[in-house]
Amino acid sequence: MAKTEIKVGFGDQVKAVSVELPKGEAKPWDADAQLEVVGKPIPRRDGALKVSGRAKYTYDVNLPGMLYAAVVRSPLPAAKVVSVDTSAAEKIAGVKAVVQVAEKGDAVLFAGQDVAAVVAERPEQAWQAARAVKVEYEQRRFVTRLAFAATPDAPLVHRGAVEERRTEGHVTEGGGGDAQGNKRPLRPMKKGDVSKGLKGATVHEAVYETQVQTHSALETHGIVARWDDDEHLTVWASTQSIFSVRDELAEVFDLKPTNVRVHTDYLGGGFGAKFGASAPGSRLGTIAARLAKQTGAPVKLMCDRHEEQVCTGNRPDSIQTVKVAGKGTALTAIEVQSIGTAGIGTGAGVGRNAFAVYTKCPNILVDSSDVFTNAGPGTAMRAPGHPQGAFAFELALDELATKLGVDPIELRLANDEHPVRLWQFEEGAKRFDWKAKRAESKRLREGKARIRRGCGVAASIWGDFGRPKAAVVTCSVLRDGSVEIRNGVQDIGTGIPTVLAQIGAEVFTRPLDTIIVRYGDSELGSSVGSGGSQTTSSVTPAVRNACEDAKEKFIEHVAELLGAKPADVSWANDGTLSAGGASITFAQACKKIPGESITATADRPATYGNHPMPFLGAPMPQIAGVQFAEVEVDTWTGVVRAKHVLAMHDCGRVMNRLTCTSQVNGGVILGTSYALMEQRVMDHDVGRMLNPNLESYKICGAADTPEIEVVLTDVYTGANNTGAAGIGEPSTIPTAAALACAVFDALGEPVRRLPMTPSRVLAALGAVPAPKGLG
Amino acid sequence: MNPFTLVRLPTLDAARERVSAEPQRRTFRAGGIDLLDRMKEGLDAPDELIELHAIAGEHGARMRGIAATEDGGWRIGALVTLGQLAGYDDLPPAYGAIKDAAGNAATPSIRNGATVGGNLLQRPRCWYFRHSDLLCLKKGGYECLAVSGDNRFNAILGGGPSFIVHPSSLGSAVVALDAKVTIAGESGLRTIPADQLFAPPTVDPTREHTLAPGEVLVSVDLPPALPGQRSAYHFAKEKQSQDWPLAEASVRCTVEGGVIQDLRVALGHVAPIPWRSKEAEDVLEGAAPSAEVFAKAAQAALSVAEPLEGNAYKVPLAQGVLRYALHFATSTPLPA
Repeated sequence: MAKTEIKVGFGDQVKAVSVELPKGEAKPWDADAQLEVVGKPIPRRDGALKVSGRAKYTYDVNLPGMLYAAVVRSPLPAAKVVSVDTSAAEKIAGVKAVVQVAEKGDAVLFAGQDVAAVVAERPEQAWQAARAVKVEYEQRRFVTRLAFAATPDAPLVHRGAVEERRTEGHVTEGGGGDAQGNKRPLRPMKKGDVSKGLKGATVHEAVYETQVQTHSALETHGIVARWDDDEHLTVWASTQSIFSVRDELAEVFDLKPTNVRVHTDYLGGGFGAKFGASAPGSRLGTIAARLAKQTGAPVKLMCDRHEEQVCTGNRPDSIQTVKVAGKGTALTAIEVQSIGTAGIGTGAGVGRNAFAVYTKCPNILVDSSDVFTNAGPGTAMRAPGHPQGAFAFELALDELATKLGVDPIELRLANDEHPVRLWQFEEGAKRFDWKAKRAESKRLREGKARIRRGCGVAASIWGDFGRPKAAVVTCSVLRDGSVEIRNGVQDIGTGIPTVLAQIGAEVFTRPLDTIIVRYGDSELGSSVGSGGSQTTSSVTPAVRNACEDAKEKFIEHVAELLGAKPADVSWANDGTLSAGGASITFAQACKKIPGESITATADRPATYGNHPMPFLGAPMPQIAGVQFAEVEVDTWTGVVRAKHVLAMHDCGRVMNRLTCTSQVNGGVILGTSYALMEQRVMDHDVGRMLNPNLESYKICGAADTPEIEVVLTDVYTGANNTGAAGIGEPSTIPTAAALACAVFDALGEPVRRLPMTPSRVLAALGAVPAPKGLG
Repeated sequence: MNPFTLVRLPTLDAARERVSAEPQRRTFRAGGIDLLDRMKEGLDAPDELIELHAIAGEHGARMRGIAATEDGGWRIGALVTLGQLAGYDDLPPAYGAIKDAAGNAATPSIRNGATVGGNLLQRPRCWYFRHSDLLCLKKGGYECLAVSGDNRFNAILGGGPSFIVHPSSLGSAVVALDAKVTIAGESGLRTIPADQLFAPPTVDPTREHTLAPGEVLVSVDLPPALPGQRSAYHFAKEKQSQDWPLAEASVRCTVEGGVIQDLRVALGHVAPIPWRSKEAEDVLEGAAPSAEVFAKAAQAALSVAEPLEGNAYKVPLAQGVLRYALHFATSTPLPA
C-alpha cells in the first residue's frame, strides 16, 4: 500500500509524517488543508425549529388511536412482592390493559422499581389506574448509605448474580476481584510502587467526597411503540443510540433487527442514560411495546420527572482517600482508594485523571470499588467517573502544592507530558492573568475580606474513540442539483446534521443549503450511539468518503458529457465544470444524470494515527483540555459564585466552531452545576430520594452560570480523514475540579466535598462544625 | 391529579360561602401556583376550585389593587401578583423591603401569576411534606420526619413539634413593616396584625395560618410610613436562579440623630413562622449604626437558635443575611 505524507501537530509544532491509508480512504485534511466550510461557525440547521417549538420530539409524537401507558413503581427500597391486585385498576374508565411486570415472589431492590403497568385512552386515566393497582409487599432490610453498605453488617443488596449493564461509550473498568458483601472491586490502575514514592517526600493525604448527580435531561425517557404487523415494530424513542434501541427490541421480541424501525428526529438531552429502548432502572421500552402488542394500538410511555430522577440512571457518588507525594516540583507517588455506589448497578470508578494525566509521576495506584445500595442504578454520565476523580485529585494536588510551596500550574507543568495540555496550561495562564489573580486572592484572604476571590486550574483527559465500520453513509447527487447525505445517526443535540452538511458542502464546493442531510432513522444506514464523545469522529470520515466517492463518479459523468477524461475535468468554485474548452454548470450536469442520482456508499476505517500523543498506550490520540476557573465567595453567607471559566480544549480539527463551542459551554455549565448545587438527597431511614424534581434537585440556571471563554486548540492528529475528535465529555471533566481549587485559593481551606454549598463553605471557614458526609 | 370543577362566582361572599359549606372538598384558587403543585403531587385533591379572580365589584377591585389609604398608609390587594408589586414604582421607598422580597421570589413567570395572598398562605416546601409517599406530622402523621432525617433546610428557630420553615418571602417583610392584614369572614371584614396571621406548629402542626375555613385574605395593609422610615430585605440562596432562600431578613427603622429607632427585625426561612427578632431589636434600638453593632445584633438574634443535626450552618448564614439587611436599611457601608 502506498504511503501518503500528511502534516500533523498543532500551533507551531507541525511535522510531516507518512501514513499508510486504508483502501478507499480519502487523504486526511491535515495541517495544510485549506477548508472553506468545515471549521466555520455555522448555526445549527434546526435552531429556529427548536426555539420556536416546531421541532417534534418523541414527547410530541401523537399517532391516531394512540394509548398512554403508566408504570406502577415500588414505593419501598427493598421488599418481596406478595401480591398484585389489578382488579380495581381494570375497572377505571378508559383503561385497556393492566399487566404485571414483577411477579409474586419477585424482589424489589430500590424505591422506583417497575412492578406493574397500565395503558389507557388518556394519560390521566392511566395515572389514576396506576394508583389503583394494589400491591402487597413484604418489607426487607435495606441500605442506601454508601459507607454503611460497604461494611459486613449491611444487608445484602443483591442476593444472586449481578446483571451488568453495558452501554455504548461507557468504557467499563471491568471487575477486578471477587465481591465481598455489597463491595465489588474494580480492576486497579497501577504502575511503579507507591510506598517507594512516599519515602522522603512531602505527603498530602485527605478524604474527598462527591455526590450522586442525575442526568436530568429536559426531555424525560420515553418511547412510542407501534406494531405494523406481528413481525414489524416501529418506535419513536428519546434515545442517544438508535441502533442499540433497535437491537434491544429485536432481541426482546424475537424479531429481525431490520424489522424494527427506530426514529429519533430530535432528542431533548441524553448525557449517557439514553442508550437503550428502556432506561437503566426501568424496562419502559419493552413495557410500551408489550402493551402495544396486547392492545393492538400504538402506545406512548414517557417518564414523569419523579420517575426520571429515581430510575433512569445517575452519576455514582464517591468517597476517595487521596494520597499524593512530591519532592520539589516532581510528583513521586499518587494513590487513590475509592468506593462509590451506582445503587443496584455498577460503574462507580473514578476515571483516569489521577492515573493518566501527570504521567511523569512514576508510582501510581488507583483502586476503586463499587458498593451496592438499594437505590436506582447509576449509569454512564458524560465522562463516567472522570469529574469525580478530577475533583478529588486536582484539589489534593493543590493542597500538596501549598505544602510544597509551589504554584499549582508549575506543579502541573512539571508532571504532565501531553504537549497540547502543556501549551494549554501556559497559554491559559497568560490569558487568565493567573499570577495577578492569585496575588489578589492572597491579599483578600490574608486581609480576611468579606468577599474573597480565588482561581483554580484542572486538567481533562479523554481518548478519540472514533469507531471504525460503524457508520455507513450514502451520498447521492440528485438531478435537482442537491446533494443528499443519509445516515441513521441521531442528533443528541450537538448539531451533527449541520456538521455533516458542512462536510458535503466542502467536498462538492456547493452552497450549504443545497446539501440535504437525512438522519435520525434506522432505515438510513447504520451508525454509532452518541457516547464516548465519538459521534463526530465516527461519522464525518464516513460522510467524507461517501461524498468523495460520489464526486468521483459525478466527475466521470461530467467527463462523458464533455467528451473528456475525468482527470481533465476542472471544478470551479462557482460550480462550473470544464474540460478541453467545453464547460457545463453543476445544475446542468445534474439534470443529465441518468436515472435519479449518482450515489456512493462508504464507511470509516479504523483510526490510523495518534498525534501528538496516544491515549493510555492505545492506538488513538489522547484529547487534551485545561480549564481555569475564578470564584467569588461571600464569607458571611458561604455562597460561592462561579464568575469566570476559561476552557481550553482540543478536539482534533474543529468541524464547526459554533456548535463545538456550544458543547464546551454545556460541559462547563454541567460541571458548574455539579460543583455548586446538584445533589441527589436520599433519606437513609426511609430509603427514598427526597428531591425527585427539578426544584430541590437544583440545576444551575442563567444567574449561576459563569462567563465562559472557550479556546479551541486545533490539533491535526492524522487519525481519520476529517481529523475530528471528541469534545462532549472532555469539556465537563475539569470544571468542578477547577472550581474546587478556586474555592481553596479563596478560603485558604479546602472544601473536600461536592457540592460546595454554603453549608460546606461555612464549615471550611470554621463557622460551624463540618456537617455529616455520605458516611 | 384528580378531575376538578372550576367555579367562578362574582361576589366575595358567594365565594366564601361556597368554600365554608364544604371546606374539605372545596378550596380557593388565586395564582394557583402552589395549589396546582400540590394537586399534581397528589397531596391535595379538591373537587372544586373557587376562582378568586372572578370576584367583581368593590371587593374585587380592592383585592386587585395597590392604593394609598386615607390614613397615609398603603393597601396591597391579595390578588396583586408578586410581579406587579415588585414593579410598582409609586410605593414609597420606606416600604422597599416588601418590594424587594416580592421581586426576588421564584422566577419572572411565577411572579407574574403568584399572588400576594397566595405567597403568604402557601404550604411549606419541606421535602417530607412534599413527598407523596411519606406521611409526616404536617399531613396527620405521628412525627416530623425532618427531626431524624435530612433537615438541612429546616427550622433553626421556633421549631417543634414541626420543623418546617415558613415558605413566604413576603412574610418577614410584612412583619418587619408592622403591616396588618384584612380578612373576610362570616361577620364581614376584620383587620389583624400580620404576625397574628401566622400560626406556630405548637397551635396546630397541620396548618401555618389562623384563617378559619372559608375565610379569605383580602389585603395587606401597610401602616403610614414613619418620618425618615427605611427598610431593607436580603436573602441567601444555594442557587441564584429560582431557589428558595436559606434565610432572609427584613428590617424597618429610622435613623434620627445618628441612632437607630423604631426598629423591627424579622427573619424568614429560619422558623415555622416569619420570625420577629426582639433580641436583635434590643441590641440596636438607640444604638449608632456600625458594622460592629450589626454583627453583635445578628449574634443576639441567633443566640436563641436550636439547630438540628444538619442545619447548624444556617445560624452563621442567617447572621450574615441579617447583617447585610441592617447595612442596607441604614445605608452603612459594608466592611471590605
